[in-house]
Amino acid sequence: MASMAVARDVVRDLRHKIAKIEGRLAERFDETQEVTGIAPRRVSGPAVLRTGVERLDAALSGGLPSAGLIEVHAGAVREAGAAAGFVLALLRLLPAPEAAAPLLWIGTSEIFREAGRPYAPGLAARFGLQPENLLIAEADKLLDALWIAEEAARLDAFLAVLLEIRGSSPALDLTATRRLHRRALLAGRPLFLVRAASEPEPTAAPVRLLVAPAPAATRLTLAGPLAGSIGPPAFQITVSKSRTAIPAAFTLEWNNDAFQERRDQPAKDTGVVVSLFADGQAAPPALREIVAFPERQGDAAGAEPARQQHPARRRARRVG
Amino acid sequence: MLSRRDSNTQRVAALDALARALKLKPGMGVGEACAMHPNIEVVEAEPEADRRLLEGLSDWCDRYTPLVALDGTDGLFLDITGCAHLFGGERGMMDDLLSRFFHQGFEIRAGLASTPGAAWAAARFGGDLIVAPGEEEELLAPLPLAALRLPSEIRGGLESVGLRTSGAIMSAPRAPLVRRFGKEVVLRLDQALGRVQEAISPRLPVPPLSTERPLSEPIVRLDDIEALVALLSRQLKIDLERRGEGAERLQLSLFRVDGAVSRITVGASRPVREPKLIQKLFHERLTALEMAIDAGYGFDLVRLSVLVVASLDAAQPDFDGGLSDPAADIALFADRVRARLGDGAVRQPYLVESHIPERAVVSEPCTRFSKGSKPVEKIVPASRQRVAKDRPIRLFSPPEWVEVTFEAAVGQPSMRFEWRRASYRVVRSEGPERIAPEWWRDQTDAAARDYFRVEDEEGRRYWIYRQNSEDMPDTSPRWFMQGVFP
Repeated sequence: MASMAVARDVVRDLRHKIAKIEGRLAERFDETQEVTGIAPRRVSGPAVLRTGVERLDAALSGGLPSAGLIEVHAGAVREAGAAAGFVLALLRLLPAPEAAAPLLWIGTSEIFREAGRPYAPGLAARFGLQPENLLIAEADKLLDALWIAEEAARLDAFLAVLLEIRGSSPALDLTATRRLHRRALLAGRPLFLVRAASEPEPTAAPVRLLVAPAPAATRLTLAGPLAGSIGPPAFQITVSKSRTAIPAAFTLEWNNDAFQERRDQPAKDTGVVVSLFADGQAAPPALREIVAFPERQGDAAGAEPARQQHPARRRARRVG
Repeated sequence: MLSRRDSNTQRVAALDALARALKLKPGMGVGEACAMHPNIEVVEAEPEADRRLLEGLSDWCDRYTPLVALDGTDGLFLDITGCAHLFGGERGMMDDLLSRFFHQGFEIRAGLASTPGAAWAAARFGGDLIVAPGEEEELLAPLPLAALRLPSEIRGGLESVGLRTSGAIMSAPRAPLVRRFGKEVVLRLDQALGRVQEAISPRLPVPPLSTERPLSEPIVRLDDIEALVALLSRQLKIDLERRGEGAERLQLSLFRVDGAVSRITVGASRPVREPKLIQKLFHERLTALEMAIDAGYGFDLVRLSVLVVASLDAAQPDFDGGLSDPAADIALFADRVRARLGDGAVRQPYLVESHIPERAVVSEPCTRFSKGSKPVEKIVPASRQRVAKDRPIRLFSPPEWVEVTFEAAVGQPSMRFEWRRASYRVVRSEGPERIAPEWWRDQTDAAARDYFRVEDEEGRRYWIYRQNSEDMPDTSPRWFMQGVFP
């Protein structure tokens, strides 16, 4: 055992040296094994969650970790909507999952009262999160909410866990976040800690993002942008902590399928001709019950390809 | 001495042994009693408190048999069929009961017989008597009519014709008795003698399954209670397996030495049988109740009952032996959270058919991951869900009042609103989207709402609405904040 530990140290030193010679940061280790000494129980999908925005992915050295604790800060409680929206958009980017793993949204009563309760119709319309895939846990006290999060973090039955709290608390210190982080790592699931109106504090999360709303782009019509309209949501992302430690800020737009970075000018048309359906299915459900004919799967979409080969989707990803 | 108010006079309701020795009688006026013995202590009777005490005692008697019924205001019926041998026979059980009540400071009288009527008479007129089957007639014959549980007016009528003891009624011809005094006389007699079955109605429902452990040394610590839960749930598992059932609701009854009973109930969203799961549920509940459980001098009997059973077929485990059912994981997780933080702690939203935003969603305690869950009424099936676009992701319910002002700026009028003591300037807005009141649910004077999506200078997007009051066009409309967009 001791020799293994020494060997691991040696390997790490060597990696650092090589990285130094090559002039880049030695950022990518197999962190799960390093932290816990145990391989994660199940590895599903890629180890990183790519946001699809090249510069942001580069700043995060490849993307957000797809397991473990991720902190998302909102400046004020009234911006908690943007922070939660950003997280939900990220979840949409997760590889089309093992069917219907639900999202667990944990919040204290305080934040639900101050920032508003999660509203299922809006979540379904904007982020394709079906009501049956949403569980909402509410606790009066922060400690209880933390307890729920810790219990949930160790399960791999959830798609992700979103813990939302307001303000700073001594209960959520380095030890508590480390516990959350390790449990989520072992389960192989992301745990988003959304903190509103709180100062950046020491945290065990490898990534901390500051999210603020940004003015939305205008709606696009066939005749061009519609002046004065409010289009898809936009977020202002500041990377406050990451492995590469490159401070960076981005303005992202969410167009229901992918993120897209807005540089100076408002976003242009993504070239997406057909948007995916909100629930991610390739074929729309029949609007009415078909009485005369037996129902055929995928009938309405005709020769529309499946989700993976959807040209619109491929295009959108590449553009981002 | 206890007094009670009876048709506008204070009357003596009950007396203790000392007062009875002073020749006071229940029913006499309090003034009269005070005149006889001026330094007597008079206390107002509290029937409600008496009733609560009796219910508490009946709960405690649960330790002898699950079938405990209240008898009027001053008695308890215990159906000990099949229970006596657990306490060393009928005599042993009665001695145990009498001594425990004595140590709790109660003076009680008990009677034990094959019929409720005979036991009632034995307790009140015999005193700690065990009546063997078949000896009821012998017991009742010399006793006064009151032993037959007859109302006083019938009793008075019978006594006026010279029938003063139960024995006299037994020997009297039945037909004239029924004709003159009603059926009740004969019915009560038959019930006492066992010729007619009499059922007692237990106060608490009888659990289908229960297992218990009496302790010679009372326990106080939560750890010990949890260890006992583990032990009892292992015993329960055997029974549940034999019946092919699982528990959906479990109750842990803790009998305190001094007679108080704590009952702790946990629910499971799918039937459970595994001791480990049961233990986990009770662990959360006990942790949450840590302060609320007063162990006092300790608990000397712990019982685990299954209140609701549901069929549960044994599942075939995987070869790797792991729990591979995510729904089961989530169900257990939700149960544990609910056991600790209350039923509403984990909820799931359902869409219902309504245009009013705050009514379009109901959140129900999570049941989707439980087996055999009942669908909530009026839920829109997934195939018919038509979600309106442009709905906020967070909703304020109820909506919050905002103050909206318009100011004439250069170019076009701009709108400001004040919400939670902060002022926002609206840069862009979309709308209105009119949502009419639901006339089939609301009052007729409910106003239509005009919804606007607005964006402020810093890019925050809100959903606010204007409530149009059509009856009063002069007053300025009221504005409300309903939701937040991402």
